[in-house]
Amino acid sequence: MSLTDLRDQLAARLGRDGIVTDPAHLRTYECDALTGYRVVPALVALPRNAAEVAAAVAACARFKVPFVARGAGTGLSGGALPVADGVVISLQRLRRVLEVDPVDRRATVEPGVTNLDISRAAAKYGLYYSPDPSSQQVCTIGGNVAENSGGAHCLKYGFTVNHILAVDVVLPDGTTTRLGADAPHQAGFDLLGAFVGTEGTLGIVTGVVVRLLHTPATVRTLVANFDSTKDAGDAVTAVIAAGIVPAAIEMMDNLAIQAVNATVDAGFDPDTAAALIVELDGPADEVEARFADLTRLCAKATEVTIARDAEHRAKIWQGRKAAFAAVGRLSPNYFVQDGVVPRTRLGEALTRIAEMGEQAGIRVANVFHAGDGNLHPLVLYSEERGEHERAEALSTAIAELCVELGGSLSGEHGIGTDKACSMPRMFSEDDLATMRRLRAAFDPEGLCNPGKVFPTPRLCGERPGPYRPHPLEAAGVIERL
Amino acid sequence: MRPASLAELRDAVRDTRGTLLVKGAGTAQGWAGAPDPTDHVLETAGLTGLITYNPADMTVAVRAGTPLALVQQELAAAGQRVSLDPARAGATVGGLVATADSGPLRHAYGGPRDLLIGVTVVLADGTVARSGGHVIKNVAGYDLGKLLCGSFGTLGVLAEVVLRVHPLPPASRTVSIPCDAAEAVKHTGRVLEARLEPAALEWCDGELLARYEGVESSVELRAAATPGGTRLSTADAEAAWRRVAAVGDGDLVVRCGTRPSQLPAVAAHATSLTSSTAVGVHTLRVADVERLRAEFTQVTVLGNKPGVPAWGEPHAAVPLMRAVKQRFDPEGRLGPGRYRPWF
Amino acid sequence: MAFDLDRALLDECVHCGFCLPTCPTYAVTGDEAESPRGRIYLMDLATRGEAPVAGPVTQHLDSCLGCLACVPACPSGVKYNQLIESARPQLDREVPRDRFFRSMIFTLFPYPRRLRVAALAGVLYQRLGLRWLTRRSGLLGRLPARARALEGLLPPVRAKDLFARTKGTGTGQTRGVALLTGCAQRVFFKPVNDATVRVLAAEGCRVDLPKGQGCCGALSLHTGRDEEARAFARRTVDAFEGYETVVVNVAGCGSVLKEYGELLRDDPGYAERAAAFAARVRDVSEVLAELEPVARRQPLPLRVAYHDACHLANAQRITRQPRDALRTIPGLELVEVPEEKICCGSAGVYNLLQPAMAERLGRRKAENLASARPDVIATGNAGCLLQIRRYAEGGPLIMHPVELLDWSIHGTAH
Repeated sequence: MSLTDLRDQLAARLGRDGIVTDPAHLRTYECDALTGYRVVPALVALPRNAAEVAAAVAACARFKVPFVARGAGTGLSGGALPVADGVVISLQRLRRVLEVDPVDRRATVEPGVTNLDISRAAAKYGLYYSPDPSSQQVCTIGGNVAENSGGAHCLKYGFTVNHILAVDVVLPDGTTTRLGADAPHQAGFDLLGAFVGTEGTLGIVTGVVVRLLHTPATVRTLVANFDSTKDAGDAVTAVIAAGIVPAAIEMMDNLAIQAVNATVDAGFDPDTAAALIVELDGPADEVEARFADLTRLCAKATEVTIARDAEHRAKIWQGRKAAFAAVGRLSPNYFVQDGVVPRTRLGEALTRIAEMGEQAGIRVANVFHAGDGNLHPLVLYSEERGEHERAEALSTAIAELCVELGGSLSGEHGIGTDKACSMPRMFSEDDLATMRRLRAAFDPEGLCNPGKVFPTPRLCGERPGPYRPHPLEAAGVIERL
Repeated sequence: MRPASLAELRDAVRDTRGTLLVKGAGTAQGWAGAPDPTDHVLETAGLTGLITYNPADMTVAVRAGTPLALVQQELAAAGQRVSLDPARAGATVGGLVATADSGPLRHAYGGPRDLLIGVTVVLADGTVARSGGHVIKNVAGYDLGKLLCGSFGTLGVLAEVVLRVHPLPPASRTVSIPCDAAEAVKHTGRVLEARLEPAALEWCDGELLARYEGVESSVELRAAATPGGTRLSTADAEAAWRRVAAVGDGDLVVRCGTRPSQLPAVAAHATSLTSSTAVGVHTLRVADVERLRAEFTQVTVLGNKPGVPAWGEPHAAVPLMRAVKQRFDPEGRLGPGRYRPWF
Repeated sequence: MAFDLDRALLDECVHCGFCLPTCPTYAVTGDEAESPRGRIYLMDLATRGEAPVAGPVTQHLDSCLGCLACVPACPSGVKYNQLIESARPQLDREVPRDRFFRSMIFTLFPYPRRLRVAALAGVLYQRLGLRWLTRRSGLLGRLPARARALEGLLPPVRAKDLFARTKGTGTGQTRGVALLTGCAQRVFFKPVNDATVRVLAAEGCRVDLPKGQGCCGALSLHTGRDEEARAFARRTVDAFEGYETVVVNVAGCGSVLKEYGELLRDDPGYAERAAAFAARVRDVSEVLAELEPVARRQPLPLRVAYHDACHLANAQRITRQPRDALRTIPGLELVEVPEEKICCGSAGVYNLLQPAMAERLGRRKAENLASARPDVIATGNAGCLLQIRRYAEGGPLIMHPVELLDWSIHGTAH
């Protein structure tokens, strides 16, 4: 067994154009959108179709070489970080929309198709693919399946897992199977549901059947400015408590707005402390009635702007969705954090985060999915000024604060490499061991994207310190036996 | 055995030897293959009640043995509900997850898998494991809850379940469109294209029912705008939805998933049928399961009929199901007989 | 021999990947190194001295079209145009490649007189049936890829156009403008220049054609020959001294004219004048948008697919004006085209230097355009016109938007 033999086999199967071996070329694959972790792979495979993916995986299995699937490389948790001496299998040549079925409202696509291209292909039938991660124009459906991606409109419509009917999977031994079915009734365990969101650790998706929805009859969007993030947070709580399920409620604080304004002219007030973007959609009368309630519930807003037309609305969303990358204009370096708190603890979380940032002497911008408590604090720092470690510690502390408040380490970006070491904060040894049983059922050899999701001694150093009660246990919500 | 706490449940599993059958309210005892006689029967009836419920968070944590009806009652007081309406009155929340059962609301809200945000499960060796959490958006770790949907007690014993909840709609109106199965497919397309957003869209024995939920003026407008529809009085609507639920009372009932447009082909096998027409999930009374299985693969027998195998030809993912079962319950303690002949 | 690129420019990239779907070479290959993000990564590695300049770094930077579609797509505001423009001269100095072919291009194209002679040979080649012969005999297949690329791009030029000159018009009242007649444009697209003069005159302009003008330097600049480009730029600034508005009908030229301030900023004799010149430059569609349409238009009941030239849409952010100008023609229908923001593969002399990639992109563009079933494909750049004509052979008419306006105003297609 040797990497040379594997390389020769792959070259024979995929062609010279189908593999990358040059050291400089390989380095362009050494990280995804989380650049803090970089590992150069031994080889990159660029298969053109499902059969070539299966052949690549089978070859890796034969030589017991670990492999990592890669989509557009937009992940923010290092889920596509290569393994040293391993193979990266890029799905970027599997980009065909195979079928759009307007009668049964579904599309069959290859994994490298971007999230937005599915909606584009469906648009002529008045249909669209609902989950809308901010990177939807770039990120691929294969990556969305791996990460169970969310997005602004998941509050009403649900996440990737709620919109996938079936996936074709190359299992880690190189065999293929289909999970899911023609309808959300499966004879057997919900292996599809269990598979979605496992961050590429159970197999590689080569085909995806997604549900398509009809575009809503009416969409109404407002931007409400507030004097403080707390006032904005209270408005979110009031809206939810009133029984309104908006399509989306997003919050941006002043720093985030500054960054967005430098990128897109969406008309956000540069002086407001916080802004909410609230969108309602659905049948016209329903939306109008609820929109009136909504405006009333934003009573504390200093200003409410209602999107004039589709173009204005598109600008607002373009601004919001560009926010992460736009922060690059405010700070040379930054961490994008992703944690969830129960909606009722939003205000508390924001206050604590501000305090922690002040203590560390580091700026934190906030732009997030307020409706489901999914925070995205952006920790701004400068490598040059030697702030890396302080900023990283702050970022990790924020994620762990979310767990402490009864929430989660990640709402949509995944655990990947980034947060594997924090997993013991949220899950016990037994919890993780049970999850590993599922992994072992799919991948007994542990070749498929190893080192992600689960803490490993190599990645996390020493085992976590003495036992500390899980925050929910301390709060009496769960009992630890 | 009838444990009354998570600790007792864990002990009951860990400290016994031999095979175990999990029993909730017993409303689906015969589903998915008749269980063999086991050394122990583990009843979840002692594991009842809400654990945490904070309406403003729109989530609720309940013990698995709690009847759904009881949960709904508690939630209604705060103007909320679990958007799950299975036909089985009295079923427990754990039982509904284990059987992946759902009703007409699956049109808008999906099934248990789509509402489940966290679980606590006791494995065959007594390991207590949690996954998910108490927030609706969460991708930390594997989602074991989804795996347990449709596991029929063969992978572990559900102890606690966390669900996402929705506001109770202020008003509701049902419209009836009399039509045959082929027309139902077309009417479904029309209702969806008209963007009327029904909460349920169900064809049952010659009648397409569209239920609208929301503010009163809106549901009435949408009801009036439904192409070819007649607005039903509250009493008539209740009777119509009871007929939908009653399809499951037949002698030999199956649930079958197909492309929605295949409804007419499925209906050809049925003596009585109700179908979520936009989703493609059908519940039907049949005379001959094998004939249905010759045409469609995703068929689950709801009930236990001697001489009728619970499952047909193993589909592509059955080897993986076996591998999962092997890892979770290597000794085959839990629910022997279920999933026969696949297990 | 390390690269020397501005660290601050490189660091602006946060590796988010938003540029990927805009990049034509990435669309074709799916390879990270063939994307803007990957190229910036390679430039960064080379600047740090962690990767040699020769090899993949050169290869993947050479394959960049310079279409700049990634620039408006970047949320972090990375100035990819500046990065690639400062990388290219360094590649040329450090990595010798295609010397003969490159110098042939640059001793020919920027010089209308030399080009006329070559083009005449080309006309003869086509007229005498030699084209048919080379193709038929299989000789074409045996020519090197680059010679084939050159052959395929030969437009159907009329011999008399080669030696005739476009004439200005001295009667306009509304506005006085000076037209850049270009180098290759003058030879291959004299009808476009003629149409530009006629349309502007019909809309009330006085159009001058300053003497002493020649190549604007665009081809040189986009291929890393920056010294040569500066020499051309100085001559152009001199030639257009005193004109209030400089009109250009080639997107690639226009984008460089507008960058003269940047290009000559270190030249004390020219820095100020170049910046002032750049501010006076307008694409012909911009001038038309600023004018109230006065000439009567006759209806043209045509389906028209407008192709955004990269140097118009990405470099100059001009997308609305040409479409608006076309919409002034009664009966004309603008049709939507898939992947409309993806480059056609022409990109200056790219299609001569990277024929394989250019061909894949050309075919892709032609298929996308054909899917909209247009009668006419309109685009405001000489390179695009040549490239699309090559791959959409036998299909719709391929015209510059001003030619369509000329047709509508004057009633005949020239």
